Amino acid sequence: MDLDLEQLAQDLKSIVGEGHVHTDLFERINYADTSLPYDVGKEDLPDVVVQPANAQEISGILKYANEHEIPVTTYGSGTSLMFGTKPKHHGITLSTERLTSSDISEDHQWLECGAGLKTGILIKELGKLGYFLPIQTQIGSSMGGALTVNTLGHLTDNVFGGRPISNVLGLEVVLATGEIIETGSKCLRRPSGWDLARIFIGSEGILGIITKVRMVLIPMPQTVDAVGFFKTVEEIGGAIGLMYKNKLPLPMDGEFAGKKACKVGYEALGLDFPEGAMAITRSMGRTKEDATRDAQEMVKLFKEAGATESFILEDPEIAEKVWGVRENAMRWGQEKELKGYLAIEVNPALPRLAEAMTELSHITEGRDDLIGQTEAYLYGHVGSDSLHCLFAFPYDWTTERMKQVVNEIWNLEKELQLKYDGVGGDWGWLPYRVPFYREKYGETSYELIKKMKQLFDPNNILNRGNLEGEV
Amino acid sequence: MEEQFEEDIEKSLNEALISCEKCHFCNTVCPVVDTRLTQGPFGITRAIYYGLQWNEFGSSLRDLVYSCTTCGKCDLMCKKVSRALPLTEIIEKAREFLLIEKMAGPMPDQVSVLKNMHVRGNPWGNPSHERTNWAQSLDIPFASKDNKVDVLYFVGCASSYDPQAQKIARNLTKILKQAGLNFGILENETCSGHEARRMGETGLFAYLSEANMEMFKEAEINHIVTGDPHSFYSFTQEYPDKCNSIKIQHYSQFFNELVDEGKLKFTAKLKKTVTYHDPCYLGRHSQIFEEPRKLIQSIPGVSLVEIENNKQDSDCCGIGGGRMWMEPPKSLLSSQAIAERRIHQAFDTGAEILLTACPFCNITLNDAVKSLEKEDSLAVMDITELIAMSL
Repeated sequence: MDLDLEQLAQDLKSIVGEGHVHTDLFERINYADTSLPYDVGKEDLPDVVVQPANAQEISGILKYANEHEIPVTTYGSGTSLMFGTKPKHHGITLSTERLTSSDISEDHQWLECGAGLKTGILIKELGKLGYFLPIQTQIGSSMGGALTVNTLGHLTDNVFGGRPISNVLGLEVVLATGEIIETGSKCLRRPSGWDLARIFIGSEGILGIITKVRMVLIPMPQTVDAVGFFKTVEEIGGAIGLMYKNKLPLPMDGEFAGKKACKVGYEALGLDFPEGAMAITRSMGRTKEDATRDAQEMVKLFKEAGATESFILEDPEIAEKVWGVRENAMRWGQEKELKGYLAIEVNPALPRLAEAMTELSHITEGRDDLIGQTEAYLYGHVGSDSLHCLFAFPYDWTTERMKQVVNEIWNLEKELQLKYDGVGGDWGWLPYRVPFYREKYGETSYELIKKMKQLFDPNNILNRGNLEGEV
Repeated sequence: MEEQFEEDIEKSLNEALISCEKCHFCNTVCPVVDTRLTQGPFGITRAIYYGLQWNEFGSSLRDLVYSCTTCGKCDLMCKKVSRALPLTEIIEKAREFLLIEKMAGPMPDQVSVLKNMHVRGNPWGNPSHERTNWAQSLDIPFASKDNKVDVLYFVGCASSYDPQAQKIARNLTKILKQAGLNFGILENETCSGHEARRMGETGLFAYLSEANMEMFKEAEINHIVTGDPHSFYSFTQEYPDKCNSIKIQHYSQFFNELVDEGKLKFTAKLKKTVTYHDPCYLGRHSQIFEEPRKLIQSIPGVSLVEIENNKQDSDCCGIGGGRMWMEPPKSLLSSQAIAERRIHQAFDTGAEILLTACPFCNITLNDAVKSLEKEDSLAVMDITELIAMSL
């Protein structure tokens, strides 16, 4: 790219209008910053941030970028928290934040929205009409971003028809080369056979930019929360296995926290609960009675699995606090003045869940690497077999030391996923997961994805560096 | 000494900002965010952080730092789900740093405002001898050592000078008279300094707070009632010793007591459906939510319906934090656009009156309802106006 930056900004203004092209330093920093425990450098910044209003303007930008071979990094809302949105080769950062259209059609029984619409806003609007969004990510995340990763957020897999892809009726997509296509249908019968939506959902933005989404409406379920207190997290692992084997209705959402995480959470929220690990579930039904019946079964199950105490959370204020124990994760470590942090995700096969929990409970013990110098907090999901571990460390470590511990933690995650047959990926961290893909699925699969990328994006414009594993 | 101050403030800003989780939750509740990440507390505080790291203190940083309304909604969100950073305080500290250390603040339009506060005791620069003009012909005594009063009504700058907000002063004094109280105002009342502090001019705030405290002392004031939540907040949270020898009340607290004691009686039944907008400095910052509601509901015939985002979640009217006297650059959301959003939420309630309890909110929301040409379907008024109608 040998284009003059002033000319670049000028040309982009001619496509999207004067007020939607930003070259200011702080705008460029904010659209590049990551939540890694070290700062971005000037070498990480985009040259320009552009905010198109619709698919036509995005098409214009991508055609222009292809003509001049300028990399384009797509930005939804940045809540994947990492570096998928950090430009690896400067260029244009294309934000979808202005694509905020929303149409909830009860006649058609679908919703249609712009990719930049925040899930929190959509959840609120759907709620007013008695519907539920089967994507429960951070409320500031964008619909386009969530579908690009195909993440459910905190919801249990296989409850609302599976992953979001199963509830998508159609997409509007701008291809990397600038053509605009539509996929799917406007009727409730989803396409069989070839459905191009399936190529773009979960492709982490390397093949095209999702600009509009159509999803089926799901009636708002009634919910009831149950909580169980256990001596160890391994007992919770056992309870989750039993839940499936006993063919219990799966909770729509569920969380657990290990002993250390619970202690910090209880203290912060003023909860007087027994020492040890804790699991909370949200059962759902068409009626409150249905949900209560399922929640009672969860209580029974927890007790069978060794819970010292288990009950239905009748008081919504207490329930909110109990969910808050897990939400409090971002403050773990602070009680020990540890402000740097990084979390991992491990998804063990069901029979090995308890074993993985045991290993993660003692993950920092006896290590002579930097991980051994961190404080680890175990938590995760009850419905989905998804475990997280948050590693906290001092924020005044040098940048080099921070980078070293980050690399050690990523490598640990890869090893654990391979060991326990996990996959994960809900946080949308394609760049650092490339080594995992290659080991898990082999070079043939990786090369196939690279060929698809070449086919859709011959100039490697979109999110350049992500598939190459550049972090 | 100055170098030490610069080092201290830089250190404290760094200490606070380095622990930001960068989760973006704060942006989801910010009234200033439109469609751009940088507009909200996340973008502003990251800009401060990188400004400090890279020694960049130009006008673009200033514009961002001064765009915050200091409504405090982000603080609650950070406390709830993240690292409990005092984001508003960080932004105000950054303003102080830019203004005092880098001479990069305040916003150009605010320079004369601060000067006016210093020289004339009010942000608009009106002559100080005209401060009590609103009270002419109302026969309101001046509190002094020789004319001791049980209650001092602290009027505040907006209700003293702004024609729209002067209605609050007139109605409030009418209510006090109706209750048969021995009350008065200060002849030489001066600005509380609240907005000076919000703009980062902490030295001016200290000067004004000392001037007011001296007057309170001289007139032997034991009890202050105000209709200005901004002054109320400064008196109770920021003045020397938090004015702890003086009982400070917002009128919504005091009038409830008068109703309970039978001193304030309503005679007219109004048959009105109203909604209530919690002012940021009365609600979220001072935690006074129930008293205004109780007072509204004690007026015969008035039915209160809640607006979306109420109490702790109330949205800002758009002009707190010094924004009353500046128009942000076009790349940032205008104060009017923020206020219009709130008016739309009020429409959705179906209420015919949008009540508030702050002269700033009153001015802004009245302007917004006019700009939307909706004055015929929604009236904006202070609670005191509704009470005055029912006396």
